[in-house]
Amino acid sequence: MSIYDLVAAWFADPANWSGPGGIPARFAEHTAYSAAAMAMAAAIAVPLGLATGHTGRGGLLALGLANAARALPTIGVMFLVVLAMGIGLVPVQVALVILAVPPILVNTYEGVRAVDPGLRDAAAGMGMRGAQVLLRLELPVALPMVLLGLRTAAVQVVSTATIAAYVGVGGLGRFIFDGQNRQEFGMVAGGSLLVALMAVLVLVFFWLLRRLAVAPGLRAREAAARE
Amino acid sequence: MGEAIRWDWIARGLEDPIGTAVLQHLQLSLIPIALGLLAALPLGVAAARWRRLYPPLLTGVNVLYALPSIALFFLLLPYTGLTIWTAVLPLALYTLAILVPNIVDGLDQVPGHVRQAATAMGFGPLRRLVLVELPVAVPAVIAGLRVASVATISMVSVASMVGLGGLGALILREGFNNRFATPIIVGVVLTAVLAFAVDGLLVLAQRLLTPWAPRRGSKGVR
Amino acid sequence: MITFEGVTKRYPDGTVALDGLDLQAPSGRTTVLVGSSGSGKTTALRTVNRLVEPTGGRVLIDGTDVRERDPALLRRSIGYVIQQAGLFPHRTVLDNIATVPLLLGWGRRRARSRAAELLELVGLEAAQGRRYPHQLSGGQQQRVGVARALAADPPVLLMDEPFSAVDPVVRAGLQEELLRLQSELHKTVLFVTHDIDEAVRLGDGIAVFRPGGVLAQYDTPERLLAEPVDAFVEGFVGYDRGVRRLSFFPASRLDLHTDAVLDGGRTAGAAARTAASTGEPWLLVTGADRAPLGWLSAERAAAADPDRPLESLELEGYGHIFHVEADSLRAALDAAMLSPAGRAVGVDPGGAVVGVVSQADLAAAIWGDHG
Repeated sequence: MSIYDLVAAWFADPANWSGPGGIPARFAEHTAYSAAAMAMAAAIAVPLGLATGHTGRGGLLALGLANAARALPTIGVMFLVVLAMGIGLVPVQVALVILAVPPILVNTYEGVRAVDPGLRDAAAGMGMRGAQVLLRLELPVALPMVLLGLRTAAVQVVSTATIAAYVGVGGLGRFIFDGQNRQEFGMVAGGSLLVALMAVLVLVFFWLLRRLAVAPGLRAREAAARE
Repeated sequence: MGEAIRWDWIARGLEDPIGTAVLQHLQLSLIPIALGLLAALPLGVAAARWRRLYPPLLTGVNVLYALPSIALFFLLLPYTGLTIWTAVLPLALYTLAILVPNIVDGLDQVPGHVRQAATAMGFGPLRRLVLVELPVAVPAVIAGLRVASVATISMVSVASMVGLGGLGALILREGFNNRFATPIIVGVVLTAVLAFAVDGLLVLAQRLLTPWAPRRGSKGVR
Repeated sequence: MITFEGVTKRYPDGTVALDGLDLQAPSGRTTVLVGSSGSGKTTALRTVNRLVEPTGGRVLIDGTDVRERDPALLRRSIGYVIQQAGLFPHRTVLDNIATVPLLLGWGRRRARSRAAELLELVGLEAAQGRRYPHQLSGGQQQRVGVARALAADPPVLLMDEPFSAVDPVVRAGLQEELLRLQSELHKTVLFVTHDIDEAVRLGDGIAVFRPGGVLAQYDTPERLLAEPVDAFVEGFVGYDRGVRRLSFFPASRLDLHTDAVLDGGRTAGAAARTAASTGEPWLLVTGADRAPLGWLSAERAAAADPDRPLESLELEGYGHIFHVEADSLRAALDAAMLSPAGRAVGVDPGGAVVGVVSQADLAAAIWGDHG
């Protein structure tokens, strides 16, 4: 049996599509882990990036920490947190949040800092207060960068949530590690394909979000700048 | 992880497994970076010249970059077996997502008048590319290499999950599988140290290669 | 009226941006602050809407110290236009103009309809309101910037080098537009520029700043050009200030000669006799409706067949003309300098020749009237 046949057989087996260990359930688990971690990371990193970007204070420190964090190996962080807190969903979530915060923070901060000072001057000169400048000018103009940060983080979270299965939780990674243990290659490859599919879905999701959320004036301006 | 770091374990394992892991880690990360650069240069040059190629190429490398490394490693495993290629090929592909845009941006930074002056002095297209355009693009290329190398060095650790070596193996097999924190901490710290060391070498290389450039590396954000 | 009383801005590092400024910018007039970079003119402007807080002295608007007002509320009552317009890229042109009305809580519908009025006022089409700033030319963006500043109908307008980023032709159009708007709206305008020509063109009063944030001279444009207080101001207003000052004197005050103007139907003999009796070396030949045809020299009139009509002779081009009712002495002098005869042709609004004036006559008029 060829590799292709093994994978096709695994996907074709109806037993793999039902129950708590089935593809839909694992897919839902994976989505839930990733979405929860992203929500928490965004709740921490976006306001922090906006605040440091708006005031300019503490920005370099945040940037330095975030850049240093990107040099850390994800599996090291994951295993260290799990070892410290014990096996379970909470330590996995903590590790995912730790990994997702830096890209969101860096991009939000850079996005706000990149807002033309002339625009800030105009906003203040027209009588906008600090929070109004942030919400009506800086956030919308920085939004493409914020979304890029969220996308980068989401891709990484989906990938790392796969590894989380190694420490005993659910998600699509289960297929990969269980398949490895049972020497069932169809299962390993099927799980891998599903993880790759989810990553592509994340890209599509952010592409749609960008179309919906970013002001047309900014999108067109970027397109014009690219040409 | 109640106990503090076990220094005695580190002292005993300096050569093996720590030293071996560092060497394997360097091999597993530097080869993909070099391969990635080799592939990215012609792709970037082509995309800069034939503009219509660029958007689909960019989408392609971005989608590749989004695919989780663990999935690619496992999908390649039956073809490449337990050789370094299982890790090297995907990692090299990932670097394209960072290097290609940087090369294109770098070539775009060559001012039109410089290009025209070179042509006016009788440079052919290839000579102009090698002697004028690529040198001007060096800072942008190195900025891309810095981001790519930090990302690759950190990502190599995942290769341990398919059974390859490097600092990831230290973390996984010596550390987590034995519920022993010291190797994990050593692995994490050494990975970061390697990343910063390679980054520092690249900054140094840029200063040597481009004595004419202003002393502030442009930052790549990813 | 905007009043500066001993306004000083000293930064913590010891730099003095503005040094004891005393100035009164009258209501309904345009006061231009001009100077090179680092002369404190922009700093002075920004103390009015409290984007800069002075370290000494005070700024009053109609007798009220600006520090007594909440900065944000103060700024919403003052129009502010900056270089490159500072339009928000993520908002349509109409929404950009509606910014301050929305901040003032006017409600979207009223703010939008006000914005549409302003779009028309600054000479843009309604369709352009739905576009985004990057889709407009630099000059159009600047017009939107002015419309945005005027949206809440503020009595005071602060303009910080608003036209310096556009090319000269567009700039001239924008200046014209501002003069037109100001003649309708009568705002109290403070206008910062580094361009003395722009200052002379737009200002009812001009304040020249010298480096170090010191006011060098505050005067009407005419007096500034006539009597610069010192070598610095003289150098700043430029070496040709004498000629430029002529723009303030109307050409209608010139005595134009009509005895050297001959209809094209007269003969060369008649022309030669006129030249001899008046002593004029050049005669202006006119055609139908007294439109100028060209210059004839006295020698050529004498040498030609006496019976030939003037319009059949070869004439020198009449060169530039000036409009007696509308133009200034500067235009008349310019026309005279460019004329092959050394004389300028003055015409009425219908293009008919009123008379001619020589360089010597012009010099006498300039010297006699304004020397």
